[in-house]
Amino acid sequence: MAPIIEVKHLTKEYSLGTLTSAKDTLRHTLAKLRGKNTWHRENFKALDDINFAVEKGEVIGIIGHNGAGKSTLLKHLANITKPTHGEVSVRGSVAPLIEVGAGINPELTGRENIFLNGAILGIPKATIRDKVDSIIDFSELGKFIDTPVKRYSSGMQVKLGFAIATSMDAEILIIDEVLAVGDLAFQRKCFNRMEELIHQQGRTVLLVSHNIRQVERMCSRVILLNQGQIIADGDSHSTCDQFYQLNNKTISGQQDNSTARITSSGEVNIEQVDILDENDEPSESIIEGSTLKIRIRFTSEKKLTQPEFHIGTHTTDFIYLTGESTALLKKDFSFPAGTHEIEQHIPNYPLVPGSYGIRVAVIDQQGRVLFHGESLKFFNVTAKTDNAPLQDELRLIATNVAWKGMPSS
Amino acid sequence: MISVARNLFNYRELILALAKKNIVVRYKQAYLGLLWAVIKPVMLMLIFTLVKSFVGIETNDIPYPILTFAALMPWIFFQESAAEGVNSITSNTALIKKIYFPREVFPLTAMVTKLVELAIGFLILAALMIYYQMLPTLQALWVPLIIFYTMLVALTISLFGSALNVYYRDVAQALPVLLSLAMYASPVIYPLSLVKTKLLDEQAAGEWSNALYTLYNINPLAGIIDSFQRCLLQGQAPDFNSLLPGFIATIVLLPLSYLYFKKAEDWFADII
Repeated sequence: MAPIIEVKHLTKEYSLGTLTSAKDTLRHTLAKLRGKNTWHRENFKALDDINFAVEKGEVIGIIGHNGAGKSTLLKHLANITKPTHGEVSVRGSVAPLIEVGAGINPELTGRENIFLNGAILGIPKATIRDKVDSIIDFSELGKFIDTPVKRYSSGMQVKLGFAIATSMDAEILIIDEVLAVGDLAFQRKCFNRMEELIHQQGRTVLLVSHNIRQVERMCSRVILLNQGQIIADGDSHSTCDQFYQLNNKTISGQQDNSTARITSSGEVNIEQVDILDENDEPSESIIEGSTLKIRIRFTSEKKLTQPEFHIGTHTTDFIYLTGESTALLKKDFSFPAGTHEIEQHIPNYPLVPGSYGIRVAVIDQQGRVLFHGESLKFFNVTAKTDNAPLQDELRLIATNVAWKGMPSS
Repeated sequence: MISVARNLFNYRELILALAKKNIVVRYKQAYLGLLWAVIKPVMLMLIFTLVKSFVGIETNDIPYPILTFAALMPWIFFQESAAEGVNSITSNTALIKKIYFPREVFPLTAMVTKLVELAIGFLILAALMIYYQMLPTLQALWVPLIIFYTMLVALTISLFGSALNVYYRDVAQALPVLLSLAMYASPVIYPLSLVKTKLLDEQAAGEWSNALYTLYNINPLAGIIDSFQRCLLQGQAPDFNSLLPGFIATIVLLPLSYLYFKKAEDWFADII
């Protein structure tokens, strides 16, 4: 059987810049008639040679950064826009939930909107009449259903939209970021409804979300888009893992541009922060559970007597994870003016794969902070094995554990 | 054209639902509700009647108010279907960017909405006919066909206009101006018989008279309004000589307009 969705060499270009005036269009058209092409507009490839096929019943997640082309791809599948090059063939009825409530009219009542949206989504009137009670029930609107939607709270509007959108019987469901609606209890309900649609009714589903955990949980296959291209297409775990790494790379890439958060008295300056591998060579990443070696090169303008060095790691959103101080050494030391290097080693660095930053503070004998900096260096912790266990990302700290009561098979 | 008819059938529920929405939204919070739909022709009828009392217009023994009202009904139906149709794509941006269905649903919906208002116009016309003690004859059976033809004319403008309006919003600005000018070139204030007498019988424009009369009738509304009045008020069959030039123009232009619309449709979501 032919795949239900087939995308071949799909490329979509948008031209950058402002709208053309009628005068420009006329000028360019006239020039074209004379055989000259004066039309020089910069094009932007929102999608660049996309190829994939979807079999009936597959549940596919589409993930990627903002602007990666996810929504543009869905628009092609929903036939809302046409490719610049290439081909998109969809064999089946499509229900786009691209934005819950696109067709909701504020002047109409909730009930009228159910019928209007049903018609917009192509549900026969008789079917809606059968379903209207269950839709109202699901939307939790109760006695408000005959009030104009413009008097609803925003949460009520979203609930109505979701209840309508998920009540239709299309072969292919296209869902773009719609699960995060309403309060927590309703989100839970939406999530259950989606799982029911996906798993019990055997529909083909395309799901776009920034909630990677959700995608990973619901989808059997995930496509990772980056700058208009598919960079991964495979089982959900490995693709999502790849996305995490891409994310981390982006964050550590930002480090050069966005300066580290530093406050300094000017007396001490951190010149260089390095992560060292087992051969003591500078590296960008370590393997989960191995020793983390942090090397700091600093310059001091004058002699440092009994300073305190505080070196720690933090997450990309500045949750401090480790942090150990030389004050605990209970040993007198001092540095003459000039450049010096010190190292901190953490055996079995316990954090799970991800991107982490380094924080350094230098405090003098009197407790005055000479230097404090966050995000001085980013490094990645990578997974031990390629086939990481399921739900490997649902934790923060790796610990050594012992298991009991496991009979051998 | 066949595919338009098929779409019209397949999407009839959607068109009806959207038309119902348009009407409900427009009149829901208005105390007078749907009565507003007939205020415009009634007001124009009164103004024209007032003007007519200063200048003589030959009406062939038909009371002027009912004659001009019968002209205003198809005219306003055409004018508003076209104007609303031209705006129908740009005013439904949210839907166009989110959900696919054949885009001609929007101009069609605009027309169906106006059809409801036209129906209310018939109530007023019936009241006027009772007042002037006029009885419709069997010729009134032509009326549905005339209205259908008016819809084709309005579609010719709204399909092309609405697609072009996505690219150049000038269209929606210019159209009301052009349409209000076109009213004077159509037999709304004066009956077509007046033009016919001047040009064909009196040869008022010399040797150009016959050609000028044909040119006048290329405006399909000339034939439409005249036929509408004849069938309902005079108990006569439509004048096919006055219908023909406009009909040929419509038959030629409507497919072109539709083709342009379908070609432009692919880019609506990107450009709008």
